[in-house]
Amino acid sequence: MSLPKRIAQGGRNHRLYLLGSWGLLALLAFLVPFLFAETFAPELFGNKYTVSLANVNKSLAWAVAILGLTVLTGFSGQISLGHTFFVGTGAYTSAILVEFFDWPYLATLVVVIPMCLVIGLIIGIPAVRITGLYLALITFGLAAVFPSIPKIEQLADRDGWNTGGSNGLRVSKDLETPSWLPTNGIAEFLQGIPLIGGMFGSDGLPRRGADDVYVYFLLLLVAAIAFLLVRNLMKSRPGRAIIAIRDNPTGAQVSGINPAAVKTIAFGISGILGGVAGVMFTMMAQFVGPDEFTTNLAIFFVVGMIVGGVGTLGGSIIGGLAIVFVPAWAGQTETLPIADIEFGAEFGPLILGVLLILLMFAMPGGITSGFRQVRARLVQIIPRAPST
Amino acid sequence: MDLFLARLFDGLGSGATYAALAMALVLIFKATTLINFAQGELALLGAYLVLVLGVEQGLPIVVAVFLAMVITAVFAAGLERVFIRPFDPSDHLPLVIVTLGLFLGINSVAGVIWGHGARDLPSMFPDGNLYSRGVANLSWVTVGNVATVLATAGALYLLLNKTKIGLAFRAVSSNLESSELVGINIGRTLQFGWALAAAVGTLGAALAILTLFLEPTVMLRVLIFAFAAAALGGLDSLGGAVVGGFVVGLVRSMGVGYLDFVPSELGVGAAVVVIIAVLLIRPTGLFGSEQVQRV
Repeated sequence: MSLPKRIAQGGRNHRLYLLGSWGLLALLAFLVPFLFAETFAPELFGNKYTVSLANVNKSLAWAVAILGLTVLTGFSGQISLGHTFFVGTGAYTSAILVEFFDWPYLATLVVVIPMCLVIGLIIGIPAVRITGLYLALITFGLAAVFPSIPKIEQLADRDGWNTGGSNGLRVSKDLETPSWLPTNGIAEFLQGIPLIGGMFGSDGLPRRGADDVYVYFLLLLVAAIAFLLVRNLMKSRPGRAIIAIRDNPTGAQVSGINPAAVKTIAFGISGILGGVAGVMFTMMAQFVGPDEFTTNLAIFFVVGMIVGGVGTLGGSIIGGLAIVFVPAWAGQTETLPIADIEFGAEFGPLILGVLLILLMFAMPGGITSGFRQVRARLVQIIPRAPST
Repeated sequence: MDLFLARLFDGLGSGATYAALAMALVLIFKATTLINFAQGELALLGAYLVLVLGVEQGLPIVVAVFLAMVITAVFAAGLERVFIRPFDPSDHLPLVIVTLGLFLGINSVAGVIWGHGARDLPSMFPDGNLYSRGVANLSWVTVGNVATVLATAGALYLLLNKTKIGLAFRAVSSNLESSELVGINIGRTLQFGWALAAAVGTLGAALAILTLFLEPTVMLRVLIFAFAAAALGGLDSLGGAVVGGFVVGLVRSMGVGYLDFVPSELGVGAAVVVIIAVLLIRPTGLFGSEQVQRV
């Protein structure tokens, strides 16, 4: 058999290929929450790297935030360093509604989505005129402003609802696994499988972990819907218009696209996704604080987007995983074979920085483009001839 | 009136430090049309070098600052050679990521070597006040900061306009290809830009530390205002960076002081609002050159 294997689009093999790859992905997504930190920790050079479910949940939230950034920067070409503004607004609004008005977590989306849409549109209007690095600097300013907003006295120290000031706001309402969801049964079933069962621990789910598994599936659902909607959007007329504005503003304009409207809308959509990511963060952390939404996080979003691959949807997921796990694992790296130094958590950013630079030397298009290059060597999909 | 003077002096003092860092950013932007996110951290490294040379080694503080400027300049030239030059200068995203990587790396190294505690630097300028009136004190530090920044701006102007390497630098920043054709060594010239920017940034950090404490996160707080100053003045205008720095400094001290509804936490917010307002009218900043687009 010669590589690359050629598969005709729309044929039986292509359907099998799609079913196989998506099926594998779905299976992996299904199994991940049951791989527990205590029982499943890959080892490398004598360091143990834990896959904590809280971190997985966080990367789902950040994947949606990076998806928003992908729409804005990857598809419409406007650089934003201020996405924490949307994420923070969504997270705080959700936390306040749940804590003081006893709303269900997911119901807060009803308020957060229109709110972040409006904020996105408001920021998008000046962005029509201010472009490039100037826009990047302004949005960076927004990211820098955000942590001080919850600390404003009128919001932090008022009667009734408040933001909790610099201490942050803890949400006391837990997300409890509904009785119809047999997460414990699934865990016991997986643990019963011979040979690999040990990776899933023993004696069902631990009490604390049980609800994390439920949160994981909720977040996975929200993220999947967000990705599906964005994928469809980018294939539709407005989505094509967004890409056209990025590739050739003048050409798009003479084709009848209104660049101001399209750019503003892109900002709005991106804002919505940021807000949704914020709600996901509140669900996962049950805590919001000014120190969670710093300029560093805003930079990390951009880093995640570029590491994953600019302008690719799959890259957002990779980016979300990367910005959570690389710093976490870098902090858990205590020894390296190249140098006899005592490592620790404070080396985390250094290792992340080094990895970033190495990645740019090895794969300037991000991990997605590297993955596509590898895939192109193995499988080649022959597009169907257009029907006339 | 006293209160106004106090806020004026305060704004000028902090504006001077923003202006110094903004000049460093502008130098890099002129050379590479790139924003160097690691600029603040290079300056941070410089400030720690001042600490090592001036406090631990006991050199006179002015000598320590000068030596730190030289060392960071050499270091930045090395960084440019190793990390920046291998990349295609017209593709910005990988370069931005590399500077972000440097930002994370240098910041973490500074934290590891010198710890996270706040340190204090001795002043280059005499203690006390030049002028005092009620609550308004014009300290020697403020005067020194403003004078140093203005002198630096003047020196940079002379360097760029009266020397051969300055001419080469301006040629490269205006047209990369043509300057290569007339025989300018592009890599060497850009390296010069990086070194110069690092030296100016170190000076800016040494000034900023006079009113703040030296800790690994200090430059991030200053850098945001420096970004604002550079954007306000126009990213490719050195004079604009100086003006932008002082405007941002004054807006911050006056905005928080006089507008009661602006809480003191929102000083950055006041600066951002002013920049948006200015950029809406002039999208390339007050003194930036217009970007002409060809169809």
